[in-house]
Amino acid sequence: MGLKERLAIACAKLANRMIRMTTHKKGGTFPGCLARLIKPDILPVLCDMFHGKVIVTMGTNGKTTVNNILYRTLSAEGKKVLSNSTGANMLNGITTTFVLGADTKGNLDFDYACIEVDELAASQVLPLLRPNCVLLTNIFRDQLDRFGDIDTVLCKIKEALFTVPEAQLIINCDDSLLAALAVLCPNPVVTYGINEQIFDNASRPPALENIFCRICGEKLEYDFFHYGQLGCYHCPGCGWERPRPDFAATAISLNQQGYSFDLNGSHIDSCTDYPYNIYNILSACTALRTMGISTEKSARIINTLDYGNHREGHFLINGSHVQLHLVKNPVGLQQKISLLHRDSTPKDIIFQINDRFQDGIDLSWLWDVDLEYLKTSHISSVTAVGKRRHDMALRLKYDDIPCVCAKSLKQSVWNLSLYGTGNIYIIVNYSGLLPANILLEKLQHKTRRLS
Amino acid sequence: MKITIGHLYPDLLNLYGDSGNLRCLQKRLEWRGIQAEIHSFTAGDPVDFGHMDLVLLGGGSDREQALACGYLKELRHDFKEFVENDGVVLAICGGYQLLGKYYQSEHATLEGLNILDIYTTWQSKRLVHNIVIHNPIFKAPVAGFENHGGRTHIGSYRPFGKVLAGYGNTEDSGREGVIYKNVIGTYLHGPLLSKNPQVCDYLLSQALKRKYGEPIPLSPLPDELEYRANHDMTRHSIAGYNNCQIIKSLSRRRGTASKRK
Repeated sequence: MGLKERLAIACAKLANRMIRMTTHKKGGTFPGCLARLIKPDILPVLCDMFHGKVIVTMGTNGKTTVNNILYRTLSAEGKKVLSNSTGANMLNGITTTFVLGADTKGNLDFDYACIEVDELAASQVLPLLRPNCVLLTNIFRDQLDRFGDIDTVLCKIKEALFTVPEAQLIINCDDSLLAALAVLCPNPVVTYGINEQIFDNASRPPALENIFCRICGEKLEYDFFHYGQLGCYHCPGCGWERPRPDFAATAISLNQQGYSFDLNGSHIDSCTDYPYNIYNILSACTALRTMGISTEKSARIINTLDYGNHREGHFLINGSHVQLHLVKNPVGLQQKISLLHRDSTPKDIIFQINDRFQDGIDLSWLWDVDLEYLKTSHISSVTAVGKRRHDMALRLKYDDIPCVCAKSLKQSVWNLSLYGTGNIYIIVNYSGLLPANILLEKLQHKTRRLS
Repeated sequence: MKITIGHLYPDLLNLYGDSGNLRCLQKRLEWRGIQAEIHSFTAGDPVDFGHMDLVLLGGGSDREQALACGYLKELRHDFKEFVENDGVVLAICGGYQLLGKYYQSEHATLEGLNILDIYTTWQSKRLVHNIVIHNPIFKAPVAGFENHGGRTHIGSYRPFGKVLAGYGNTEDSGREGVIYKNVIGTYLHGPLLSKNPQVCDYLLSQALKRKYGEPIPLSPLPDELEYRANHDMTRHSIAGYNNCQIIKSLSRRRGTASKRK
């Protein structure tokens, strides 16, 4: 370790402490950014100092949840784990994780690193991290203004995987895009999937896409769809088909506590009733088992895990039950629509739609979602807030769903909590998440004080 | 009255909610008591252009575009005839490029349908921006979102609009899209027709005029929300630009908005 490296680490740590002291928030990506200003190749240096195993998680939806399951499970097994569990997954965010995890001499005393990586940062970050295992959850249409189209994303991931040919690749084989990608990559592959049809119609977007064979171009035939392009597919042209999953969820049932299912001989009870979390648990368990990590205690962890990790929150305001949900792309929103549809009690909905850089400046994806199901979801009112509230209201208008535009989320929540159905769903996109969380905490606190 | 709309290959050419355009056309017909018959053709289906009043073609990734082009070639002759007979076509992004002679993409040259004498070349810098254009046919500026690597050269054709903010066909031509007879080719997503009801109504009136042989007036609809969304976007995309003309056009736009109230 040279002087510059030590200085970079010290400054980053100091910056982080100051940010925490003044804002009571974690430092985000700034400490890493600062460390890289002082020593541009600080991340490769620290990666060389890291002697544990590295698990990288990538994919459009679910990577933060999967990464958290891995982190929590490994920690419960008594391992020391380094993780970017807040979801800062670009170069600066990952550098922050490593810099803050290191001691002043740059030593990283960890058994494992669980790192989620943004798909576009992959080709830059993967060769540095040299992961033992790369986990791919799914690839959907997401932030096209930043990613270009899906082919660009797949190309970037492929490029990245070629730089780490020894890494064990773990893929969701229900995703034809990933299954086709795995064929092209030099890495050893383990697959997981769901063998039965569990998702309802409301989970599926109206127009199917990416359903053409990546090998011969013929249209794929499906025995059934889960959602997005996920499902059980085969190609009538060249005979290519969904690989048999090495790890498969079977005997899936939904009971009071949540979903339970069998995974290659062992039984898993989850405390989540969102079907997409089956995929998240499945991918984490596949990774753990593939790496030969004992999962004796993981069953208990999975039972008690908070799958929301601040992306789904529950609040009690003026006696009303308020839920906060994050959506980032059409597949995610469709899943939430299905969630609303399954709740048979009357409800008020607030959409907060922004178009800041983190959200993607383009909101046309709102039109890729089938909102028709909202008509039969016992909805008492819909409110749109946020910078692009008129876009959301417009989208709803063309499905004949009346919607009120309002300027303030705070005012809307407060009024609805007093005069509404007592069951409020707030759906926000990325930039609105943290402020909404803080706001709802405050409102919850305020009602407690008033009562 | 009835308008038949053919949506070509939504399974291949549907990037950025382009299928939303179909919903706009359909709803704005239904709200006026005009029947809308929708035919969605998936790749490989035979298409009878004789029965169509309006044809929609969306955008796709380079790969999907190449696949779509293979299927569309078989329809080329009928498609061209439809266009020459004043058939109404809205082609977005990839669909717009496909109307031309060829699309020289990163890896290969893709032969187009050769319906219009235009061509597209590819450059690595993607043109990604909110875009606002002006066309005197429409009172308000037309707003959308563009994201394309292709640069389309339209020769002597009329453009769909003059670029007020954003890029358009190429970075520097100041022109966006193309209009030929009743064909509009454009890079504007959004979906285009959602925030630009006047473009939607223009296409519908052209289709009605062609079908019934005389101009059929469309009853006005309450479009306040559409124009507010349009305005949100125009206002946003203008930020960072310092162009008197834009500001002028914006104040004109504000004028119409306040009159609407």
